[in-house]
Amino acid sequence: MSSSPTLGNGLSKTAIAEKSPTHLIVQMALRDVSVLFRTPWIIITRALAFIIQLFVFAFLISGLIHIPGLNFFEYYAVGSVVATIASISFVIGYDIFEEAEEGVLDYLLTLPIPRREFIIGRALGGAMRAIIYTIPMFLIVAFVWGFTQPLSILTALLALFLLAFGVTGMSITVAVSVKSANRFDVVLALLELAVSRGSTALYPITFMPFYVSLFAPFSPVSFAADTARMSLVGFTLDLPALAGLVAFVVIFLGLGAAFYFRRLEGGIYG
Amino acid sequence: MSNTRLIPLIIERDVRILFSDAFLVAIMFANFAIDLFVTAATFGRLVTGQGANYFLFIAPGSNLITAMVAAFQSGRDVWREKYIKDLTSYLLTLPVQRPVLAFSRVLGGVVRSVIATFPGTLVICYLYDILFTPKIFVAYLIVGLFSLGIVGLSMAISAFSSSIETWVTVRSAIQLYLSFLSALFYQVSVFPSFLAPIVSSNPMTWAIQAFRQLSPIAFAQVPAGDSLGSIATLAGPSLAFALLGTICYIWYSKL
Repeated sequence: MSSSPTLGNGLSKTAIAEKSPTHLIVQMALRDVSVLFRTPWIIITRALAFIIQLFVFAFLISGLIHIPGLNFFEYYAVGSVVATIASISFVIGYDIFEEAEEGVLDYLLTLPIPRREFIIGRALGGAMRAIIYTIPMFLIVAFVWGFTQPLSILTALLALFLLAFGVTGMSITVAVSVKSANRFDVVLALLELAVSRGSTALYPITFMPFYVSLFAPFSPVSFAADTARMSLVGFTLDLPALAGLVAFVVIFLGLGAAFYFRRLEGGIYG
Repeated sequence: MSNTRLIPLIIERDVRILFSDAFLVAIMFANFAIDLFVTAATFGRLVTGQGANYFLFIAPGSNLITAMVAAFQSGRDVWREKYIKDLTSYLLTLPVQRPVLAFSRVLGGVVRSVIATFPGTLVICYLYDILFTPKIFVAYLIVGLFSLGIVGLSMAISAFSSSIETWVTVRSAIQLYLSFLSALFYQVSVFPSFLAPIVSSNPMTWAIQAFRQLSPIAFAQVPAGDSLGSIATLAGPSLAFALLGTICYIWYSKL
């Protein structure tokens, strides 16, 4: 009786170790998805924030904006989905920071998963859960404003996924670089504010002050918002914005992976 | 040592905690700057025909949001003392009566909040052209009074939230209420009638109205005259929330 579980465990570990890298990455990603959905309050408050921003703030303020050719309510609706996905993608950083503080990371490192798959899995998990979380909001916006072209919707979702992937990398970079909990909180909040507010997600670039309009086109949130809007409203593909998004993903996934790997192997876990 | 001499010492401890990482204060100012010079400046260009400059109309909101963030940071510190650092036993050994300790912690949070928003309040006073007038003191009074209520609320949340998720969730819900269901971005009359009572009872509504009344600019639908009426109205919920925070702090201090 007593030897069975041991044998079972041994077999199970061998089986895990023999699984393909892709399978291990997906396993890690699915763990992150389930972690987010085990904390329903975070989902509820962010969903509530989206609904209030869209149906209270955007609705009321669009009544004060009288600019010919600009439907601000529609403009803000698409942008708020993009800003929300950026916001939820940042949450992975909080999880990674907490894991390190509470010692869960030590446990995770004992799992029979190579470091590379572990890190890619975390980044993918952050992006996957952000996109799963945002899809209902995207559907609300698509339904209310009548975005029905399947190809346009797919392009917009691709832009959202790329943004989520890149922001996840950025969040991981900050989580493993900042040591103090308070400092981490405010740095991440500032970063979130800077990339969202200094972008074309929530307002058109032509109305930004000059000093903001200089860097707003280069915000990753702008890349995603422009791509989503061009495909949903204009039925065209904004290739430069899409290229910018891919570059953002490559840079920050690379940075995030490098910092995370360094912390795991050479930092306090070395 | 008398209680009156102990209160400043407790406040000083809280202020020292704030300045233990001056970087945080700088980041809070950066948040304010983004809110004001990016978001408010852009909406100022988008919203026209309101009878006055919309940027100036919403500008004090950026400062009050920073005050709100700083006030919640005090509550977060109280939460960390209880659940992460396990400092409750130590704090109870201090030679100070619990009600005095509790109220001093609330006051400490207010002082921290006023310090964190000090440069922001100066910027708003400059924009409102009241920088070199006695009204600048009223501006700090408004920030302090508003912070009093929010610190009280955040300490009350800290007493009842055993997990950080619960704390963050309740904080986010309150921040949503204060930001979007108040007169921060638009007049109370713009809201549907069923939301009007919620907006009118929001401390942010009265704090921002008091600020707007300090300005020599006459904003549409903002009652003219001094800010005293709005300040008096703001004092009600602020004192009530401060009392709630004090009671909850005493309650949570019991081992």
